[in-house]
Amino acid sequence: MFSSLFVFRGRASPMVEFAVSVAAAALVIALWELAARAGIIAPQFLPSPSRVVVALWTMLTEQNLVWHVAVSTARVWIAFLLAAIMAIPIGIMMSSYRIVGAALEPMIDFIRYLPVPALVPLSIIWFGVGEETKIFLLWLGTFFQLVLLVADDMRRVPQEFVEVARTVGANSRQVMTDVALRWMGPTLLDNLRITLGWCWTYLIIAEIVAADSGIGYVIWTARRFVKTPEVMAGVVVIGLIGLVTDQLLRLLHRRLFRYL
Amino acid sequence: MTGYVQFVDTAKSFGPVNVVRKTSLGLERNSLVVFLGPSGCGKTTLMRMVGGLDEPSSGSILLGGEKVVRPDRRRGMVFQSYSSFPWLTVEKNIAFGMRYRKDLDATQKAERIGHYLDLFGLADFANSYPNRISGGMRQRVAIARTLAAGSDVLLMDEPFGALDALTRERLQVELRQIQIREEKTVIFVTHDVEEAVFLADRIILFSRRPASVVADIDVAAELGADRPLEIRETQKFFELRNKVLHLIRNETGVVV
Repeated sequence: MFSSLFVFRGRASPMVEFAVSVAAAALVIALWELAARAGIIAPQFLPSPSRVVVALWTMLTEQNLVWHVAVSTARVWIAFLLAAIMAIPIGIMMSSYRIVGAALEPMIDFIRYLPVPALVPLSIIWFGVGEETKIFLLWLGTFFQLVLLVADDMRRVPQEFVEVARTVGANSRQVMTDVALRWMGPTLLDNLRITLGWCWTYLIIAEIVAADSGIGYVIWTARRFVKTPEVMAGVVVIGLIGLVTDQLLRLLHRRLFRYL
Repeated sequence: MTGYVQFVDTAKSFGPVNVVRKTSLGLERNSLVVFLGPSGCGKTTLMRMVGGLDEPSSGSILLGGEKVVRPDRRRGMVFQSYSSFPWLTVEKNIAFGMRYRKDLDATQKAERIGHYLDLFGLADFANSYPNRISGGMRQRVAIARTLAAGSDVLLMDEPFGALDALTRERLQVELRQIQIREEKTVIFVTHDVEEAVFLADRIILFSRRPASVVADIDVAAELGADRPLEIRETQKFFELRNKVLHLIRNETGVVV
């Protein structure tokens, strides 16, 4: 029964896979708890999972964590949606018209390699210390990556499909809407899922800039007072949000693209 | 020079690379013409120019006396790979051929879909997606879609190249029957001599790049129009196949 689990690219039932995922996570948590209780690592560096859970409960019940989560989620989604709304058409144009690609691709490639933290001072000069800076920094970390991914997706639309559409009478707009976008759909959603994850990774940077709300702010404040369990609780919350979002988007992918 | 499809001093270069030498050729309506030649010789480029997908560098291509300037549904393409849209069911893939036709109403379109589903034995798979059907069926879907579009001329670029031998044989027989029944003109590109001899009314043999016509073989005169599978085992078929092979070796310097 178990030998089949170790066949190269073999398949296990979804229940078995789920059980393995839960068991692996439980094992890591158990080892972490044991290591912390045995005093192998000082608690101010690595508090036990149980202390992190207690800290999380206190943050939920006494420190308005839900509100901070809501604020962070709103910032991430606003920045991400702005990035997506801009990146999708620009990426498509870059691949569809060589002249647009020639004009934009080198610049985008240059900017995408700039580390977001290096642009914090500039963003404060441009936008001050309000919401705009936070949204801008999150957008910055997402937009330039996404635009190149979308351009690549568009480039991969098989020429055969484009030509079949043209020979049955499709014009350029119809080739785009009825063939190219349909072909791109699954990879586009995958890339949106991946870049949304990246957007969350920039949250701490965005929320240490004169913030008074958000998970990043909570983590950063807790760090100042060496409240390591609270810091870790904040990190865990980000991880959980990421996990849930990712699973929901995967579900959406399966629903939308049943033909795969 | 006469013919439904006419190449008039047609030549093609891509930048400094000369792909097709000046060619003049006429292809009869409702015939199946095979373009045979070594890989990369330029035969596909010639066919693409008929489709309006590539423009001749000089000369022109006429279809029924009218110059080909852009792709349209009278000339449908069938490719070896990416032949059917993965996000559409078999039925909707066939319907895609008529998606931009304004001259048919919904009932007429539904009738045509039904006709081609039956003709290609796809009725039981109408609601299946391409990833659930075999490679041979996917090619049938592609041909059905092109016919549903109302194409007079089918341009087929090694459409059976990726199929197993048995499926390939079956599809060759079906293509011959359907081409005659539906009265279509087919330009079929291949480098497989046996396939060429079995399918063709006429084989145009091309040289290595830049392509030029090295032989024009009237297969129908030798084998007739009716091509049961058994014809492959006849002396006539062997002789013709060997003759074509010999020509390829002599004329193109290619050992097949």
